[in-house]
Amino acid sequence: MNRKHLGAIIVLALAVVLASLAATSKAATKRQAKTDTIVLYASGDVNVQSLWQQYIIPGFEKKNKNIKVKFIFSEHGVQDTTTLARIGAAVKQRKWPGIDLVDAGLVTTLATDGLTQPVTKATAPNIKNVDQKLLTPVKGAAIPYRGSSVVLAYDSKNVPTPPKSLGALLAWIKAHPGKFTYNSPNSGGSGYSFAETVVDSFIPANVLRQMQTGYFPNLESNWKQGLDLLHSLNQYVYQGVYPNGNAAVLDLLGKGQIWVAPVWSDQSLTALKTGQLPPSVHLTQIANPSFTGGAAYLGVPKSARHKVDVYKFVDYVLSPAAQTQIINVMSGFPAIPLKLMPKAIQNKFADVSANSLRPTYAQKQQSDFKAQWQQNVP
Amino acid sequence: MVLPPVAVIAVFIGFPIVAAIAYTLGRAGGPNSVVASLGQRQFIVQHGVTLDAYRDILGNKTIHRDLWATVWVTVLATLVVVVVSWAIALYLRFSNTRLARIVSGLSVVPLFIPVVIASYAMLVFYSSDGFMRSVAYHLGWHSFPTLGYTLWCVFLAEVWVNIPFGVLMMSSGLNGVPDNLIEAARDSGAGMPRVVRSILLPMTIIPTVIVGTFTAIYVLGSFTVPYLTGPTAPNLLGPSMTNFFSAFNQPQQAEVLAIVVFVLALGIGAVYVWANVRTGKRSAVAP
Amino acid sequence: MPAPEREMSVALARSAGRRVLWFLFVSSLIVFMIGPIVWLGLRAFSGLWLYPQLLPKQWTVNGWRQVFNDPNLSHSMKLSFEFAPVVTVASAVICLPAAYAFSRYKFPGRRFLLISLFAVNAFPKIGLYISMAGVFYSLNLISTFLGVVIVQLIGTIVFMTWIPAAAFSAIPRSLEEAARDVGAGPLRVFFRVTFPLAAPAIFVAMILSFLASFDEAQGTFLVGVPKYITMPTEMYTLVLNYPEQVAAVFALLLAVPSVLLMALVRKHVMGGKLAEGFQIR
Repeated sequence: MNRKHLGAIIVLALAVVLASLAATSKAATKRQAKTDTIVLYASGDVNVQSLWQQYIIPGFEKKNKNIKVKFIFSEHGVQDTTTLARIGAAVKQRKWPGIDLVDAGLVTTLATDGLTQPVTKATAPNIKNVDQKLLTPVKGAAIPYRGSSVVLAYDSKNVPTPPKSLGALLAWIKAHPGKFTYNSPNSGGSGYSFAETVVDSFIPANVLRQMQTGYFPNLESNWKQGLDLLHSLNQYVYQGVYPNGNAAVLDLLGKGQIWVAPVWSDQSLTALKTGQLPPSVHLTQIANPSFTGGAAYLGVPKSARHKVDVYKFVDYVLSPAAQTQIINVMSGFPAIPLKLMPKAIQNKFADVSANSLRPTYAQKQQSDFKAQWQQNVP
Repeated sequence: MVLPPVAVIAVFIGFPIVAAIAYTLGRAGGPNSVVASLGQRQFIVQHGVTLDAYRDILGNKTIHRDLWATVWVTVLATLVVVVVSWAIALYLRFSNTRLARIVSGLSVVPLFIPVVIASYAMLVFYSSDGFMRSVAYHLGWHSFPTLGYTLWCVFLAEVWVNIPFGVLMMSSGLNGVPDNLIEAARDSGAGMPRVVRSILLPMTIIPTVIVGTFTAIYVLGSFTVPYLTGPTAPNLLGPSMTNFFSAFNQPQQAEVLAIVVFVLALGIGAVYVWANVRTGKRSAVAP
Repeated sequence: MPAPEREMSVALARSAGRRVLWFLFVSSLIVFMIGPIVWLGLRAFSGLWLYPQLLPKQWTVNGWRQVFNDPNLSHSMKLSFEFAPVVTVASAVICLPAAYAFSRYKFPGRRFLLISLFAVNAFPKIGLYISMAGVFYSLNLISTFLGVVIVQLIGTIVFMTWIPAAAFSAIPRSLEEAARDVGAGPLRVFFRVTFPLAAPAIFVAMILSFLASFDEAQGTFLVGVPKYITMPTEMYTLVLNYPEQVAAVFALLLAVPSVLLMALVRKHVMGGKLAEGFQIR
């Protein structure tokens, strides 16, 4: 009986090996037909995934029949570090990193470290429409393609008048223990924004400006007051635990376990549309200071393949057609001025565009902030 | 003949480990140049070595909390796995009923469920709207604690994941004890506890040590279980290491943590080797 | 109460008490072990399900439809089943001769090598990834079938050397010598005498290796992207981002092959010689 089992397994394994060899050779012959494949790597939440997979990529492939876009997705950026390492290793060795275009938080790091290709008006004409100020934090080596802001979501049934300023919000949290939470800063941007906003309220304006444009570890002592205040909120937060990721917070809001939370504008608008959040949940922005927001960037690794096709894709993403989809599907802010968008869209976003959002810290400063939060708050 | 697997390990694991150790000691050349150019808060030297990265980590408050969490979860999970594996294996050894076979069959189930799914299943089971809380509610206990996202959930999930190996190992070990020895003891009037203490335990030291050491090493270095089921802080060293690596962009500190875990694991492994050597010496009459 | 009757009722109460304890232990063990899986299984078919109900209010196969309609998920399923057998066979080919050598030849450093094969697996993988990227790049193995096979194979080496080595050691040399005395060549001796006796243990090692390769996520992502994304790698996205129903469905699918394999292995492993496989002789 043992011999028969073993024999069966060996035969099965051989069959699989032969089958896969046949499959790879078939794929090889197919590739000889003239289509280029470019690879897009994106990380973030599920709304980002569906934007690319169901809307932008099919739209682009329909217009460019000889270019195929292969899509890889990583949630919460769990795979971002390994990807960063791969791209870094590949660019240094002048080899192809397996990825031609990146949509992830790590793009800003890649750009400031000189690993991505600066994209110019010559290669992607629609770049001329993007606000040039957005190109400074990435030294011109990344392309902003959409914007989003963190806003305050509240359940209007239980919170008839939402807090309108940071001070009022903090007072509300203390008056309603267990009805508020935010995700840990290292797992999602909405929680990160809340934490940074609280800390920013204690920092003088000139110091804040420095932190937004560069990396100054010696200025981090300015964070102490804000971090102490966040630490004091531990007892008022839902179950004393900070959830893992933006989606988890939306989940709690949807189930009615909490009444107020910081959320991404695009993610929550989409959740309202799909019913994940009940219609009683409304959004508002606070003042003094407001929550942060900013642009999401696309980066082209210096050793990417088929660069001409990649630039065509970037150009498509910046076109009014694709930007309209970003608004409709993701409820994101467009990266190009509103006057280039259809009238209906212009009315929706009267005076908000990606560059009027309160900027966050420079990339390395953010990393140190996350480390400080982890050490001092929970 | 021995060369192929050793070569694979040497090239693909041994060499990167050596490079990682060099990086933690401050050397940023060669294979470490890419990661060193991307990280922050590093302690790099051009010549010689430095222990500053180690000092930075070992003086870090977060690490102290996480290290303590890792130690107690590891110790407790190992103890519980050993005890429960023993209980199930004993049950299977001495009662050939259908119930015994069902129990032992079920206890091997986790071996074949991928860790990601196991962690997720445990989290949902013990969450605020999970099975435990729902059953407690129906029994009148409305404020049963939510164990999801706590170190207790990590502990329970680690036990769940490691029981199969423990049961397999212990039942295999107990089967190695000849029936006539046990019968002889029973005939002389020994009760079950005496049989366990005087005959079974001494003859199954190695399998018991194996279960203990393998479980401890697994829990010590685990990532997926604490990442999916654990709290924000403190958590085990696995997710903590990942935080340092990606969220805080401090790869050097992350590698230091990796080496700390490695050294601890080696220490536990040494227990296993020592036990083997001792038993080997004693049983000089080998077949 | 007269003395003997008191003694008997005490004894009865004690044995009844012991039975209750025993019943509690067994039943809580059963709930602990399979409760989470059953609960997750229910989620795979649930529509609306609110706390503290013990069963869903609505049943639906919506989750299954979502999973099977997703092209990424079905592709990753196919890939997982392509890699695992290949890795298992490759591991057997590479490691079995070494296992035999470890068992039969007492060369210097034998114990050290045996232990180090095990020890390097204890190193937390996240710490290795950066250095590994460099090595794989210089060997041109990124994004290749062979590269992923190597990464998954590393996780199986321990199973494929230790367990068969113990099995070979358990076969008396006298049997092999007897075969050689009647004129059989060394290869013939191996395939006719040694191998069949060690086959059950080798079979177990292959199953464990298969599952180790099947379960491998992070290393596969590092090397396999963009062409090769297996089921476990896909799971990270699902578990943390999709509604519970979809994650539950995929979880069940991922578990099915494992359950089938369990049926094959159970007889050989339970009550088998597993413990001897882990002793250093």
